[in-house]
Amino acid sequence: MLSKLINLDRRIIFILVALAVIIPTLLPLNLPINVSNPTQRIYDYIDTLPAGSTIMIAFDYGPSSMPELNPMAKAVLRHCFDKKVRVIGMTLYPFAPTLADTLIKEVAEEKGAVNGEDYVFLGFRPGYEQVMLRMGTSIASAFEKDYTNTPLTEIPMMKDITNYDQIDLILDLASGSTTQIWITYVNVKYSQQIAAGVTGVIVSNMYPYLQTKQLIGLMPGYLGASEYEKLIGVPEKGTEGINNASPVHVLIFVLVVIGNTVFFIQRRREE
Amino acid sequence: MKRQVPLVLCFLFGVVMCFTQFSPHQYSQAVYNEVINWALIMAPFALIFGTITLIQTHVTRIRRRIEHWQYSFVVFAGLLTMAFIGILFGPQDPAFEWLFNNVQVPLDATMFSLLAFLIASAAFRAFRARTFEATLLLIAAMIVLIGNVPVGDLIWNTVLSWLPWDNGASETRQWILGNPNLSARRGIILGVSLGVISQAIRLILGIERSYIGGGD
Amino acid sequence: MELIDFIGIWIAAFLTLCIYSFLYRDNPFYRFAEHLFVGMSVGYTITISIYQGFIPFAWEPFWEAIKPFWPGVPREAGWSGLWKLIPIGIGLLFFGGVSPRYTWLIRYPSAILIGLGAGLAIPNVLRADIFEQTRGTVEPFASINAGTLSIWGILGAILMVVGVVCTLIYFYFSVEHRGPVNWLSKVGIAFLMIGFGSAFGNTVMGRVALLIQRVDFLINDWIGSFGALF
Repeated sequence: MLSKLINLDRRIIFILVALAVIIPTLLPLNLPINVSNPTQRIYDYIDTLPAGSTIMIAFDYGPSSMPELNPMAKAVLRHCFDKKVRVIGMTLYPFAPTLADTLIKEVAEEKGAVNGEDYVFLGFRPGYEQVMLRMGTSIASAFEKDYTNTPLTEIPMMKDITNYDQIDLILDLASGSTTQIWITYVNVKYSQQIAAGVTGVIVSNMYPYLQTKQLIGLMPGYLGASEYEKLIGVPEKGTEGINNASPVHVLIFVLVVIGNTVFFIQRRREE
Repeated sequence: MKRQVPLVLCFLFGVVMCFTQFSPHQYSQAVYNEVINWALIMAPFALIFGTITLIQTHVTRIRRRIEHWQYSFVVFAGLLTMAFIGILFGPQDPAFEWLFNNVQVPLDATMFSLLAFLIASAAFRAFRARTFEATLLLIAAMIVLIGNVPVGDLIWNTVLSWLPWDNGASETRQWILGNPNLSARRGIILGVSLGVISQAIRLILGIERSYIGGGD
Repeated sequence: MELIDFIGIWIAAFLTLCIYSFLYRDNPFYRFAEHLFVGMSVGYTITISIYQGFIPFAWEPFWEAIKPFWPGVPREAGWSGLWKLIPIGIGLLFFGGVSPRYTWLIRYPSAILIGLGAGLAIPNVLRADIFEQTRGTVEPFASINAGTLSIWGILGAILMVVGVVCTLIYFYFSVEHRGPVNWLSKVGIAFLMIGFGSAFGNTVMGRVALLIQRVDFLINDWIGSFGALF
């Protein structure tokens, strides 16, 4: 009986996982979300920026990380547009331009933000640290034109923005190692404030930078998205997702407990 | 010529980039900016070359009839469709965006979501508290796993309501990430950074020359 | 719903199901979707590399450089752009890799990019990752000295130093791990295990997020589109 349980066909586990996702999608949960300190710190920082400040959002992720990072990007963009904080979007990840462009336009339309005045999307440039360092001298030397091919000199909001000196915060939404590159090449060298929203896979790596304040805040995956949505008072995909994730997390927890219980019983019998 | 010149170039550019960063003199900064410009100019060539290499791999697969070689035609169909529309009409063309949103996005996202199933299965089969270290790993994993979702705090506040401590699941998760995890990660960062610096010095001095490869 | 959106949803749903069919076992539908994914990704990268990398960084400087030689263009356009032809030429050497005979040409641009990256890394990694991380480890003790840290803060600071030092000792292979070094490295392993455990917990969150989004798409968008059929 025990060995049967432990040698369960993995497809049965797959079905259990599928059910644990399908059922809450059909019957959504609505559990209370507690905001963690690292997310609160990003919100507070942006919230205290005066109108007319500028933040740069680096969309350093591709379609495989969209479910986690798009809700974060949406929530932060909404917050910025509400606060009249100007946004410069850009990416160092080749698979990001289309998704970032679509997302910014969508939120801008919802909030009535104007391209070139309230936000600009610069697009993608290859060469991680080289692009970052070049923007430290002049953003236009790395991005002479924005994603729509408009020269930066013709974009009203870029008239008084030359380099990082005029940018109050860089928010890196990352699925890879770009946050560490931003910290290494931009944070110390240009005394630039950096925050990050990252996928679950790399959350743990970010904590040393949070303690040294090389990162002023951190949004961890789906959880971070749901926390930020709670802070701006617009629960959406992040909140929905983290609620729906609860049963799968519990299922995996239970599976591990069962697996270990069987393992200990078998080991005792063998002894 | 084939080996010595690259070593000299590597040394020259390495030393120049290292030292110009310490000098605020205008000439030094001009050199620094110009060399970074050079790198930016070269970067897209590397990216395009990378994709050409992949195309070559699939051409070889078809030529040598390697198992499942027929699927390499699917690779070319996808590649040519995307590249043809993209190069001809630009990345902001509605057809290009439509293909990205309705073909590439679902493929990419679904491919990685398979791991959710595989992780669950692997956790059930292999995640065992066999040793003290494995037990620590398992306990930390389970606390973070359950602390990451709101149901964790709900269970804590219901089952352990007699404790004078609310939201224990998310608080404990936060403590693990911000304390023992932080120490371990910092140890790794320090170790890796020292490794990066020593490797960079070895590259500049030509001690590490594996990037040159074999041959003359 | 417009027809084009409807078709898009159905294609996306078909491809999603093709990939999920792998959960039963490897099959031609999965392999089709997998290879299509590779092809589309390369096609996308080529397009973006050309429009967002090659044109602004290589083609436009190239055009600026040769413009003064173009018939009808006034010579006052200047000659300074010619300087840019050097990195463009070196960048072109990457394509030597296409032929096995000229693969060695890649060494030149690679050596420049590697040397440049190494030169950039030394001071920046030293400052951002070594000095700053060391500062973060030691700084709480200044607060202890100033008496501004609570008892939990003091314990946290001590735990952090113990964890960082022991983890580093675990990775220090120049001395044999015996006696006190062995014990300290074992403490380091304990910290590492907790770190890796937390990474597992977070990874599950990330992967489950992807699955939830795909299921949400299948149920709400795809099945939701059935209504448009009737």
